[in-house]
Amino acid sequence: MDMGELVRIVEEGAVVYKDPIVLEGLPDVGLVGTIAASYAVEKMGYKEIGYIESDLFPPVMVIHKGKLKSPFRIYGNENVVVVLSEVAIPPNAIYPLTEALADWFKAINAKLVISITGLPAKDRMDIEKPEVFAIGNSEDAMKKLEAKQVDLLEEGFIAGTYAIMQRECSKRDLSAIALLAQCYPVYPDPGAAASVIESVEKFLELGIDVAELNERAEEIKLKARDLMRQTALSAPEMQKEVEQDMPIMYQ
Amino acid sequence: MEIERGITKAMWGYDGNLEPLYDVEDKGAEIHVTFDLPRVRKEDVEISTTEDTVEVIAKMSNTVCWERWGGIQKRITFQAFKKQIRFPVHIDPGKATASFKNGILRINLPKMRREVLVGID
Repeated sequence: MDMGELVRIVEEGAVVYKDPIVLEGLPDVGLVGTIAASYAVEKMGYKEIGYIESDLFPPVMVIHKGKLKSPFRIYGNENVVVVLSEVAIPPNAIYPLTEALADWFKAINAKLVISITGLPAKDRMDIEKPEVFAIGNSEDAMKKLEAKQVDLLEEGFIAGTYAIMQRECSKRDLSAIALLAQCYPVYPDPGAAASVIESVEKFLELGIDVAELNERAEEIKLKARDLMRQTALSAPEMQKEVEQDMPIMYQ
Repeated sequence: MEIERGITKAMWGYDGNLEPLYDVEDKGAEIHVTFDLPRVRKEDVEISTTEDTVEVIAKMSNTVCWERWGGIQKRITFQAFKKQIRFPVHIDPGKATASFKNGILRINLPKMRREVLVGID
């Protein structure tokens, strides 16, 4: 990638991609995508295959097992690519970030881009098993969703990284869907992450068992507090509240 | 002071307390506050209110020590959540109610106010 670009995808190692499916789980409401994506990486034992750097990102690095890493990382293999982040995405980085990612997904010939995130539910406390709703960016994507019998979000606004990801994929003729599980807006939600993984399984068929995610829910919630707070602080700038609004051209 | 707060404001304390995630919503006549309290049982939650604050102390059922995290943090055993929230309006502490479900504590705090109905001429 050209070093002059605002956001650079840096590949480490040489993966020969075979029309991979991409899972994008960047921090958003309930950290549903982040929790689900990191759980998938852990369960599947995916290797780190790259990272994302940008002058628009905060000057933050993360240390794991004594090793210095970018908090914006890419994991996977020739068939599955997972994009995640351990810090909140600055709102002003969303456009260049999604453009750079979509360019890269096109370059590796991704056959489907799945954004996983949450749908804020006021009464989440009373919901035992969060439902999952979907959005597709094209006729092809809609067909895929119909075939897997996922409930569609038919009217409403979507806001945040995943919203723009859908559009940038459309512009590049890439099939993209978003899977949204009902979640606590400002509390980490491993239960919603479990629901969304069950939905992702319909497309990826990796055999990920979510039992451990539910068993370790409290431990995950404890570790996710800081990222949840950071993410919640940037939500107003992302216009997240618009997701509760009725579009004027509702039909 | 301000600069120090920007660098050291953390969601954990040297005293072994963690700051819980919480949310405050002004519902007009009431203020609704929720706290996310993982690893906490209902009987280990203590709530106290004054006319403009609510404080929650919640003991975790298992203490937690992240042995590889940070410098000083790895030597601290975290035992409880503790948070005091101050409100810009007066509440009626005697009328506060609370519920606890799926690790979420919800407290409803009625605002202190004398309501007068205004007639229309």
